[in-house]
Amino acid sequence: MAGKASATPATYSPSPTGHRKKRPPTLTDSDWIRPDGRTVHQCRPAFLRTGAVNSASGSAYAEFGNTKVIVSVFGPRESKKAMMYSDTGRLNCNVSYTNFATPNRSQAPEPKDLSSMLHKALEGAIILKSFPKTTVDVFALVLESGGSDLPVITTCASLALADAGIMLYDMVASVSVSCYGKNLLIDPVSEEESYQDGSLLITCMPSRNEVTQMTVTGDWSTPKIHEAMQLCLDACSKLGKIMRTSLKESASCPHD
Amino acid sequence: MEYVNPEGLRLDGRRPMEMRQLRGEIGVVSKADGSAVFEMGNTKVIAAVYGPREVQNRSQQLNDQALVRCEYSMANFSTGDRMRKPKGDRRSTEISLVIRQTMEASILTHLMPRSQIDIFVQVLQADGGTRSACINAATLALADAGIPMRDLVTSCSAGYLNGTPLLDLNYVEDSAGGADVTVGILPKLDKVTLLQMDAKLQMDTFENVMQLAIEGCKAVASYIREILLDNTKQLEFRRGV
Amino acid sequence: MIFSKVKGVLADEVLDLPTQCPSSRTPPPPSPVTVQPPASSPLDFEVRLGIAGKVVKRYSFLIGDPLMVGLSFGEKNFIKGGIAHDLRTDGRKRLTYRPIFVETGVIPQASGSARVKMGATDVIASVKAELGKPNPSHPDKGKVSIYVDCSPTAEPTFEGRGGEELSTELSSALQRCLLGGKSGAGAGIDLSSLSIVEGKVCWDLYIDGLVVSSDGNVLDALGAAIKAALSNTAIPKVQVAANASSDEQPEVDVSDEEFLQFDTSGVGRHYIVDATTEEESQMSSAISVSINRQGRICGLTKRGGAGLDPSVILDMISVGKHVSEQLINKLDSEIAAAEACDEDNEMDS
Repeated sequence: MAGKASATPATYSPSPTGHRKKRPPTLTDSDWIRPDGRTVHQCRPAFLRTGAVNSASGSAYAEFGNTKVIVSVFGPRESKKAMMYSDTGRLNCNVSYTNFATPNRSQAPEPKDLSSMLHKALEGAIILKSFPKTTVDVFALVLESGGSDLPVITTCASLALADAGIMLYDMVASVSVSCYGKNLLIDPVSEEESYQDGSLLITCMPSRNEVTQMTVTGDWSTPKIHEAMQLCLDACSKLGKIMRTSLKESASCPHD
Repeated sequence: MEYVNPEGLRLDGRRPMEMRQLRGEIGVVSKADGSAVFEMGNTKVIAAVYGPREVQNRSQQLNDQALVRCEYSMANFSTGDRMRKPKGDRRSTEISLVIRQTMEASILTHLMPRSQIDIFVQVLQADGGTRSACINAATLALADAGIPMRDLVTSCSAGYLNGTPLLDLNYVEDSAGGADVTVGILPKLDKVTLLQMDAKLQMDTFENVMQLAIEGCKAVASYIREILLDNTKQLEFRRGV
Repeated sequence: MIFSKVKGVLADEVLDLPTQCPSSRTPPPPSPVTVQPPASSPLDFEVRLGIAGKVVKRYSFLIGDPLMVGLSFGEKNFIKGGIAHDLRTDGRKRLTYRPIFVETGVIPQASGSARVKMGATDVIASVKAELGKPNPSHPDKGKVSIYVDCSPTAEPTFEGRGGEELSTELSSALQRCLLGGKSGAGAGIDLSSLSIVEGKVCWDLYIDGLVVSSDGNVLDALGAAIKAALSNTAIPKVQVAANASSDEQPEVDVSDEEFLQFDTSGVGRHYIVDATTEEESQMSSAISVSINRQGRICGLTKRGGAGLDPSVILDMISVGKHVSEQLINKLDSEIAAAEACDEDNEMDS
C-alpha cells in the first residue's frame, strides 16, 4: 500500500468522509523521521533500468520507493502526413496512469497536464535539429503512484530517450521538494504531498547546470525558494550520476 | 403560461412586433482581418474573419472558388447554468453548418479561387436567437474584412405564441415550445437564404410569421448598413479625406 | 456588390484592397537605426530576454511553437536589437507593461466578471458560484475550479481541438498560482470563506477564462481579469436553518439582499516583460512568476523549452517582484475605476 505503511496501519478503504487524517505535528528538528523512515533531506532509493519494453526504440523502468513508472520511446519516425513540414523534429509526450496506480481510482491527476509538463521538461534537452521531419513519441505509464510522480516520470523518460539513442544535450534529472511549515521535504511521498503547504519542482541538465522546467505552488519567500532550489539542484546532480551509472551498466552488458 | 399579457406586452415588456435593442461594433479583435460584436438584447456574439488566405488543408482546396469555413462555439459562461460541453457537439456542428451555408450564399466565392475564408463565431451571452445574432455578426465581420459579397445577409427570428406572432424571441419565449422561424435574407436582392422552423404552424399563420421575420431582417439590415457607413466615415475622417 | 474595405484603426491603412494577403499584415520592415550587426550564421544568434541586458540563452529558433509567427530574418533581428537597446518595437522599455484596460460586470449572468485588454490581447473572465458538496478531505473548505478556453476568434489554429493544448497549459498555470499548496496554504482565494456548513454544503466557484484575442502575454491578462472578476464577485449571503434531523441536508436559504464581498490577496504576475506575439516567438524561454501583495511568491511556471541557468531564474524572480509591485498598484486603480464606472451605469439605468 502506497506510502502510508509505517506511520498508520495500512487500510485499503479510502479515507471515510467526515473523518480527517490529522496532519502530523510540524517539527523544526531537521532529523525528524518521515513516514518511510527518511530524514528531511534524504531521497528515496532510486532504482533505474533501461530496456523494459522490447518493441520500443528505447525504454526505461524507474522505481522510487512506491512510485513505479515505465517509459517507452518510439522513433524518430516519420511525422503524420497531416503535420506540416518542419525542419526540426517533433516531440510527442503522453502520460497515463493504470487503473490501479492510485488507491482511489478517481484520484489520478490530470494526465493531459502532466503530458504537457513532461513535454516542456524534455524539449529543451533534445537536439531536435538532428531529426527533421520526424517525431519522437514518449509514452509514460505510471504503474503505481507513490508521490513525486512527475519528477520520476521525467527522469525515467530522459533515461529512455538516452536508451533510444536520441541526441540529447544532456540527460535531465528532476526532483521536487515539499514545503511543510518551516521544513523542506525532499522527494515527498503521496501522503506528504497531500499535506504540503507548497511545492517546488526542478528539472535540470546537471552537467550543463541549466534548468529546463520549474514550477512552484504555494506561498514562498525568496530566500526559501533559493534554499529549495539549491537542495533540488544538488539532488538532481546526484540523481544524474545514478542515471549515468545505470546507462553505463546496460551498455557494458547488453541484454539479449 | 401567458407570453403576451392583455395589454399586449411580452414578458420583457416589448410589443409583439418589437425587436430587442441592437448594438454592433466593428473591429474588436485587432489581429483578425475582420471582426465584429453583435448584440441583440442580452444575446452577445463575437465574430472574427480570417482570410482570404492560402488553403490550410490542400485536399480541401477548390480550384474554381474560395473555401468558406465556419466554427461556432459557446463560452462556458454564456448560459444561465454553467455548462462544460466538449467542443464540436451536435448542436454547434449544426449551427456552424447553417452559418457557413448562409454566408457562402452571399460571398462572391468565384472571385477568390484556391483560397480559404474562416469565420469564427463565439457566443458570449446566449438569450435566444444566437443563430440570427451569429449571422449578423458574421456579416459585419466579413464586410470589415473587405470580402466581396452580393449583399449583406441579415437574419432574424420570429415565433408564434398565444395566438400572436412575436418578433425576435428571447430564451424564455424560445423554450416555450411554440414555433420558432429563423429567416436569413439578402435584403437588397429580396432573396431568402436561410429558413428554419421547428414545431408546426398553419400554412397561413406561417406566412404571417415569416413575413414578420423578414421585416425584422430588413430592420437589422438597415442598422448594419448604418454601422458600416459610420465606420467608413470614421476611417475617412482619420485619413483626413 | 459590396467592396467596402473598412478595416482597422491605423490612419494609413490601405483602404482599397478588396482581398488582403495575410503576409501584408506583418509589421513594417525594420528601420536601420537599432539593428544589431547580423549574426555570423543564421542558425546561431543570440536571443536577449529583457532582463538587465543579460544574455540569457544562446539558441536558434523556438521549436514547435503553436503561435509561430511568420517573421523574416530582418524582423527577427529588429526585435532582438530593440530589446538589446531597451527600446522595443512598440516603443516600450524592457520592463514596461502595455496599458491595461479593465471593464467589470460584462457578463450579467455570472456572479462576477471582467474583461481585460492589454494592447491587442483581449480576455474575459467570469466567476460563477454554485452550491455544492465539499471535498471529504477538506470539509471546511469550498472548491474552486479554473478553466480557460481559447476561442478560435483569437487565432485560427485554435479551431476545433487546436486550442486545447494551450487551454490546459493556461488553466494549470493559473491553478498553480491561485489555489496554493495542497493544504490550501498560500492560496489567492480564501477557501474557508466559501464553506457554508462544514462537510455538507459549500460554494463551488467556477472561474472561466475566455481568450477572445491574443497578442502575447495571455497568461497575465487572464490573471488580471480573474483578479478583477473576483473583486467584482458578490456571493449571496446564506442563512442556514439547522433544525432538520442530522441525516437530512440542512436547509440553505439563499438571500439576495446581503452580499459577501470577495477579495483575493492580490495576485499580480510578471511574465518576462509583457511580450507581444512577435516577441514571444523569439523567446527561447520565459518564466511566469505570481507575486502577492506581501511580496511573496505564490506560483511559478517556466514556459518554453530551452534550459536556463539557476542564477538567471533567481534574477528573473527578483525582476518580476519589482515589476509586479507597480503592476498590482496599477491594476488596483484600474479595477477601482472600472467598478466605479459600473456602479454609475447601474445608477443611470
